[in-house]
Amino acid sequence: MIIETTALVKRFGTFTAVDGLDLSVEEGSVHGFLGPNGAGKSTTIRVLLGLYKPTSGQVRVTRRISYVPGEVTLWPNLTGQQVLDALAGLRGTRDEAAERRLADEFALDTRRRVRTYSKGNRQKVALIAAFAARTDLLILDEPTSGLDPLMEQLFQRCVRDAAAAGRTVLLSSHILAEVEDVCDTVTIIKDGRLVESGRLADMRHLAASAVTARLPEDQAAVIVNRLGFGDCANGLLHLSVPRDLVPRALGLLAEANAQDITCTPARLEDLFLRHYAVAAR
Amino acid sequence: MTRLLLRRYRLMLASWLLLMIAMCAITISAYRTTYATDELRRAAVLKAQKNPATNLVYGLLPDPGTPNQMYGWEIGAFATILAAVMGVLIAVALTRANEDDGTLELLRSCGLAPKTPLRSALTVLAGCATVLFAGVGGAFGATVAMTFLLVAALTTLLAQIAPTAGQARLLGFALVGVSFAVRAFADTRDVAWLNWLSPLGLRAVVQPFTTDRWWALLPALLFTVAAAIGAMLLSSRREFGAGFIRRRDIHHGRLRVRSATGFAFRLARGSLLTWTIAVAAIGSLFAAMGSSTVEQQREGEVGGFLGSQLGAGDPAAGFLSYCGTIVGIIICVYAVLSASDSRRAERLGLTDLQLTTGLRRWSPLAAQATVTAAGAAIILTATGVLTALIAPAMLDGDDIAARAFVYMIGQWPAAAAMTGCTVLLAGALPRLTALAWLPLIASTTVALLGDLLKVPQRIQDLSLFQHVPDVATANPPTVALLVLTGLGVGLSLAGLAGVARRDLLLG
Repeated sequence: MIIETTALVKRFGTFTAVDGLDLSVEEGSVHGFLGPNGAGKSTTIRVLLGLYKPTSGQVRVTRRISYVPGEVTLWPNLTGQQVLDALAGLRGTRDEAAERRLADEFALDTRRRVRTYSKGNRQKVALIAAFAARTDLLILDEPTSGLDPLMEQLFQRCVRDAAAAGRTVLLSSHILAEVEDVCDTVTIIKDGRLVESGRLADMRHLAASAVTARLPEDQAAVIVNRLGFGDCANGLLHLSVPRDLVPRALGLLAEANAQDITCTPARLEDLFLRHYAVAAR
Repeated sequence: MTRLLLRRYRLMLASWLLLMIAMCAITISAYRTTYATDELRRAAVLKAQKNPATNLVYGLLPDPGTPNQMYGWEIGAFATILAAVMGVLIAVALTRANEDDGTLELLRSCGLAPKTPLRSALTVLAGCATVLFAGVGGAFGATVAMTFLLVAALTTLLAQIAPTAGQARLLGFALVGVSFAVRAFADTRDVAWLNWLSPLGLRAVVQPFTTDRWWALLPALLFTVAAAIGAMLLSSRREFGAGFIRRRDIHHGRLRVRSATGFAFRLARGSLLTWTIAVAAIGSLFAAMGSSTVEQQREGEVGGFLGSQLGAGDPAAGFLSYCGTIVGIIICVYAVLSASDSRRAERLGLTDLQLTTGLRRWSPLAAQATVTAAGAAIILTATGVLTALIAPAMLDGDDIAARAFVYMIGQWPAAAAMTGCTVLLAGALPRLTALAWLPLIASTTVALLGDLLKVPQRIQDLSLFQHVPDVATANPPTVALLVLTGLGVGLSLAGLAGVARRDLLLG
């Protein structure tokens, strides 16, 4: 485990931001870190980075970390290139070829001063510094909120490349499609506590596929009866089918000569949204 | 919009205006009591009129040199320069700064007419000038207020041309600098008509307390109106958030950084250069102006505030020590501002970025403390060297160069102590960093007014300043300086221990 927290608690005065969190991230994995706003994701990340001291609990994490914050602030009078120089200089190791390649790919003009950069461009500087650094762990806290769709794709490729190179990525994000595309494992937290954690493939099993078909009402009623779930309106049958029952449901529909059959595989979004509904605290 | 500007900048406007009015109101009575008899004053006036250094800084002292005229000459010089600086800062804050920070964009999106912001800003500026005039009063007040308004209007015009608010401020300060130079040239080379061309020469043409030529304000008023109209015209012909000069943001420079200290030094480089030039100029100019004071003190004539500053020892040493105290106060302001920068960086998340490259927790704060202490040493060395070069030509006495240098460089321990104080707060109690100003304000008050207010010597000795010994004496005592330096080091270390123990706070 490259990250391991045990019963991590972080309090600010009377407010408990993280409440007994056990988080473990395997080396070489891309780990999604999810939860509604205020769930304690950024607090946990700041504890992992050593910026916050834990109130109690154990934290074990490698020291060779790259970090991209959600809101990137840089030194306004330096150019993008100078910021990269400074961060690499402070780190002491550098892969300048990788920096140049990434700057080209992200289409960032590093000769411009940071003060002229948009939010997305500042994020690009931080991402380039993070991906190009020779580190074992990348901690990315909502890193793509300012990027355009093309750059978002590039970002996902960079994450995959990093994983392929044996690096570990902890990705906190609200963009569920992004998490679904790049992560092997996820942890969902709410109110500072663990809700679910595990392999994404296993979680998909738990979620249901959506099946729709058009067929006469009486036949639809028969199918609903045999499956034990589903509902029918205006000749359109809606079924929310657990993954292992999908072949059987489709077989029944085919037998009944149903028209316009659609089957949408389980979306993580449905699973996540269940956990996101939360009262303000 | 006018009311919104007043609401947003009320603190800045009120404190500037109060400072100006208070300075003009409080000091006038001091001029009536400085000289015991008219003969003594007359002698001082004659000396001052012949002194090129004072002519350079204050302008010409008109005959017969009544206390009011001396006030208008000396305080008038400070007041008009301060009014001009205030004009630049307020004009830019009311106009371009709103564009650069995005607040004006928000207002424009609510349907505000494009002309309204500038018109409101000009209204507020005119209002400030009116308050200044009413508060100070008379032809003198009118001169100060007109100087403010003219510089503010010209800066507003420049702000339409400059690419950013920062550049507009620089252009405005350049304008003040040129005005000062033109006025100084006019007064030292006897080309009086040049004063009509300089906003800072307004005092010389209106002659408050002498002839009170109110009509001489008219050209300045016309210039102000012309500048305001020009600004309105340019404003409607430029892009929002940009000036007529395009800004240069492409830059090929690279950075060679190996440590947090090196990086902190690189970030501080620009402001350090500005501070060095400004403090060296102010310090050496101040020392250069002292010849008449030193001579008067030799004859035992100087009383009041200045007399208390000079003390009872050798007059030249006393005057240089006083210059050192002034430079010491300024260098301590630098130390607090520079060391507080670590707090700003922490709030913005810049410290996070540095720490996640693998630096130790205390490293950025230690770097800032080092840069502050080294910066203070650089500024003081430059000031000391420049003063040591200039002062011997201006002041009569023994060991002037050595004394000038040591009285300047001797302020370093005070700066170190203030650095330590700020680092301790920024490190251990970050939310209270602003309290670092307290010891500085207390020490400044005691150093400048301690004798006048009859503060006991035991308490005066606790001040940061006035501990620098006279190098010309045998075995000068250095205990106080060692204590201050030790305090700086000790407090800094405590601050570093504090920052290693706490959470880093954003926002």
